[in-house]
Amino acid sequence: MSAIELLKLSISELSVQIKARKVSPVELTEAALTQADRLQPTLCSFITILHDQAMRQAKEQEAALARGEYRGPLQGIPIGIKDNLATAGIRTTVGSKVLADYIPAEDAHVVRLCQAAGAIMLGKENLEEFAAGATSNNPHYGAVHNPWALEHIPGGSSGGGGANVAACLTFASLGTDLGGSVRLPGTFCGVVGLKQTFGRVSQRGLLVTSFNGDHIGPMTRSVRDSALMLQVIAGYDALDPSTVPVPVPDYTAALGHEVRGLRMGIPTNYYFDLLDPEVDAAVRRAIEDLEALGVSTKAISLPSMRYVGALRIASLADSVVTHEPYLATHRQDYGPDVLYRTLAGQFVLGRDYSKALKVQRLIKEEHARVLQEVDFLVTPTAPIAAPRIDTPTFRLGETEYRVRGPGSGVVSRYTSPSNATGLPAITIPCGFTRAGLPIGIQFIGRPFDEARLLQVADAYESVSPSRGRRPALVDAG
Amino acid sequence: MTLSIATLKAMIHEYHGFILSDEELERIRPELESYLAEAERLRELDLANVMSARLLHVDEGGQS
Repeated sequence: MSAIELLKLSISELSVQIKARKVSPVELTEAALTQADRLQPTLCSFITILHDQAMRQAKEQEAALARGEYRGPLQGIPIGIKDNLATAGIRTTVGSKVLADYIPAEDAHVVRLCQAAGAIMLGKENLEEFAAGATSNNPHYGAVHNPWALEHIPGGSSGGGGANVAACLTFASLGTDLGGSVRLPGTFCGVVGLKQTFGRVSQRGLLVTSFNGDHIGPMTRSVRDSALMLQVIAGYDALDPSTVPVPVPDYTAALGHEVRGLRMGIPTNYYFDLLDPEVDAAVRRAIEDLEALGVSTKAISLPSMRYVGALRIASLADSVVTHEPYLATHRQDYGPDVLYRTLAGQFVLGRDYSKALKVQRLIKEEHARVLQEVDFLVTPTAPIAAPRIDTPTFRLGETEYRVRGPGSGVVSRYTSPSNATGLPAITIPCGFTRAGLPIGIQFIGRPFDEARLLQVADAYESVSPSRGRRPALVDAG
Repeated sequence: MTLSIATLKAMIHEYHGFILSDEELERIRPELESYLAEAERLRELDLANVMSARLLHVDEGGQS
């Protein structure tokens, strides 16, 4: 099997061969590093590629396997880590100039878990400055390019991870999602992006984040691989009080089971109100595909979503508090998009912040109510396919919307509500625009019911028009 | 609803905020206008008795 053919396999396919010692972690890591070196000048998807460390880890895992020490499906698998997750002894910039030389003393909890499972850390991945935006057009480390169309954004803020997984540089990436930052690169890069329930995965070691609604989640090329990644990173962490001590089920157990008899909720308001016609058509086709699989449909109403914009008030205020110490000493090191979006937060009144938190509660209760009537909700992941890197705005109907900086937020309008509710949500590729840009569909589930979401996503994946498709640059060169 | 540059500057001064030039205040205006529009919309709501909670529990409907 050629190096490129190896790189195009899934984790679930490879892990069997690694366990049987038919594929060597060293061989696999060499192939991934070669692909990373070839495509980094094109994609700009890494901030730091860990050549020496990755090879050292690969040799360690190969030796462990030779001793009969099998550590699970991630053993010997090269993955990427978003550069806002702390890595001991390796600089962690958060995509900023402010922290360009910051070297953490400890790994983030999830990084430690992945390494204990035998994963190979290929590199630290490029992102939006301070993970605060949806483009990954980073003013300090360069704009990440979408592997499907290089002049387009990969989505953000975990854009390096989305690009790497799509272009087969890595088999999975750990991203972070405060308003859609795993799911937007998922939809724009045509990969699977999972934001599990708030409290399911420890956030310890996630740097410069809001305290209200951030999540660490995986991006992968298949739903099964997403389940395998979640299996490793999920669980209570006594040192992170946001985690909840509930049992972690076997996330692969229900994969492949039929979904006939499940009920999906289709929102009649908000989630389909503002959509590019091609995205709308692809998502509606996917709903028909789910119906053909035996899932019944129920129209559901979410009237409180009229006030969903209030959530942005809270995030504005949270953001300025998060950045206050850095703004006080390093303001000149900020890019303008993040700087001016953040500074607007200093004008938020406490009254409005309190109201925003109460609206958050209303929206959460409303989602919980409808999720008693259905098993999961179906929405578009984003209102559009990936916009161009060089444009600050996009048009829907007669209105122009900002892609980044102050006043942006429309791109994440269908992902950010699940950060406020804390509900698990997953994006799956569901087709392409006529221009060849990926489109994603989002499933939102009940609290701690990721297993059901993964089951539904796996069933849909088997009929999705996107299955088996890879960007042309994977094989080129 | 909108806020004048003079008002914004006064707020920064009184609350020891981050100083912004007129040009910089113009750059944050889209975000501020969005905030003010949402705050205005919230006046429709009676939020007096809404309780706050963040953590989710399995007995809210999920399975583990």
